[in-house]
Amino acid sequence: MTDVLVAEDLRRTYGDTAALSGVSLSVGDGEVFALVGPNGAGKTTLIRALTGTTEPDSGSVRVFDSRPTAVDRQRIGLLPQSFDPPERLTARELVTYYAGLYDEARDPEAILAEVGIAESAATRYENLSGGQQRRTCVGTALVNDPDLLFLDEPTTGVDPAGRRALWRLIERLADEGTTVVLTTHYMAEAERLADRVGLLADGKLAAVGSPTALVAEHGGRTRLVVETSDGSAEADDERAEASDEAEMNDDAETTDAPDSVASASAAADAAADALTTTDFEVETTERGLVVHGVAPEDIGRVVGTLDDRGVEYGALTWTEPDLEDVFLQLTGRSADGSGEAATIGSGADAEPSNAVAEGEL
Amino acid sequence: MTATSRVRAEATAAWHAFVRRRTAVFFTFFFPVILILIFAVLVRTDPAGGGLFAEPAGYYLPGYLAVVVLFTPLSRVGSTVARHREGNRFEKLATTPLTRAEWLLAHTLVNVVIIGIAGLLILGLMVAVTDTATLALGPANLLLVAVFVAVAVALFCGFGAILGSLADSQDGVIAASNTIALPLLFLSETFVTPDLLPAWFRPAMDLSPLTYFARGVRDLTYSGAPFGDDLLVLAALAVGFFAVGAALIPRTD
Repeated sequence: MTDVLVAEDLRRTYGDTAALSGVSLSVGDGEVFALVGPNGAGKTTLIRALTGTTEPDSGSVRVFDSRPTAVDRQRIGLLPQSFDPPERLTARELVTYYAGLYDEARDPEAILAEVGIAESAATRYENLSGGQQRRTCVGTALVNDPDLLFLDEPTTGVDPAGRRALWRLIERLADEGTTVVLTTHYMAEAERLADRVGLLADGKLAAVGSPTALVAEHGGRTRLVVETSDGSAEADDERAEASDEAEMNDDAETTDAPDSVASASAAADAAADALTTTDFEVETTERGLVVHGVAPEDIGRVVGTLDDRGVEYGALTWTEPDLEDVFLQLTGRSADGSGEAATIGSGADAEPSNAVAEGEL
Repeated sequence: MTATSRVRAEATAAWHAFVRRRTAVFFTFFFPVILILIFAVLVRTDPAGGGLFAEPAGYYLPGYLAVVVLFTPLSRVGSTVARHREGNRFEKLATTPLTRAEWLLAHTLVNVVIIGIAGLLILGLMVAVTDTATLALGPANLLLVAVFVAVAVALFCGFGAILGSLADSQDGVIAASNTIALPLLFLSETFVTPDLLPAWFRPAMDLSPLTYFARGVRDLTYSGAPFGDDLLVLAALAVGFFAVGAALIPRTD
């Protein structure tokens, strides 16, 4: 596969803030490459450096073997983040306007139909719904039938139905051979659309690879969550009260736990004890326990063991690791920018030794 | 040919964006109306002679035109640049074949049309409510006035683009354009005759681009003096401001 985009050691600072700290990546012809990371990770700065709309402090970018600013404009399309197109124009006028800027442009009506706005084409942009607005904006990036399409958070603020419609559109473009570089903080979006994903945190690429490979390498193992607590609000309150009392009381060990908490804890202990006979790694949590590395065909064995010991449980949840786990593992926080990761299980214990260091590929 | 179609596409979008903002349209054209009603109808000449507005009505035509030629492009283009930057529109445009100069040219053309209409309104009102016997408004002169207006609009569109690029917000653009435009308006031989200003200050009036517009239009329509030099200086300044304004239009940062 020929690389249509190659970036090497990109660095960009704004004052004291390093937006990009040595990012290197390449994107192949016809590939869908997703940059994933929380707000402030450097995604938009990277897109701007790749499209030539910002000059990196150091490093180089080649797009179709040219500098980004020297690339034939006919070949690239861009949907900027937080894009607010000229006001007081209808969706049709907006698409027609951007089409008018190119020597060769697609039929605006075909674009409007493709992004699912044909029926609202005569509606002014400001009167469209958020999803329709974003789809119109995506349409403006397609007017020149680009070979390389940059979409900076194309589905942010779009409702689930609109998001799925945009996903189908991007998939169709990819099927037709368009190279797509998109940014998102939705892991599901990256996992569904991207051939390869770049996980960006603090201006550095933490890892690059196919979603499957990244999950296999960094996602950790499957988890079977056994909830021995009933998980109700009342039970949560009781647990919180017990915890507060324990903190306030100098002699915490003498504090009596509520019955439900005590029974849940006892059930968890019993379950953990029961599973010591298996070869699974078990971790006790507030609501029960987590059994790591359980394959789908082994779930019955775990359930059977619990039943044999008479352990009561409220719910069983089996989850496979996904990109979110990879991101947590490699960066210590979630891709939506929320807090530090809770370290659960062996997956979080491993050193990210196989992660990409300093954005290298 | 392709540059023409790009400029047409940008100008069409900008024109639609303007005419569909009813408040902006209303005040753009109400401004010259209220100006003439106040200064040409309400404000009286000092009976003892001298003072403001002591000259014949025709003397002030360049002043009235200068108001719209100066304020409208300065604030419109300045705030448009700020609005485009805030909406990441320049970032998108930077990846299209439209150049910055083409963008500014398109918006200049829209402003020429808007200010041309406002200028016609001013002329019509002056004829209707003042004594315009002293004005020479033949077709050739009107055409040359239109040239002066178009060149001056290009100049102040370039100036507006500079302000819009350097200011950090729309509010900043408006504040800066008012701060610059008001002194320019009153110190550029528009409404205040040079003899009302101290002798030491008069050479400074030559530093104002608006002075050459006011002098040229006055020479053309009122005094009959040669106007070529003023048009030449105005055109040279317009090229300079337009070039700098186009070069400063931001891409993103």
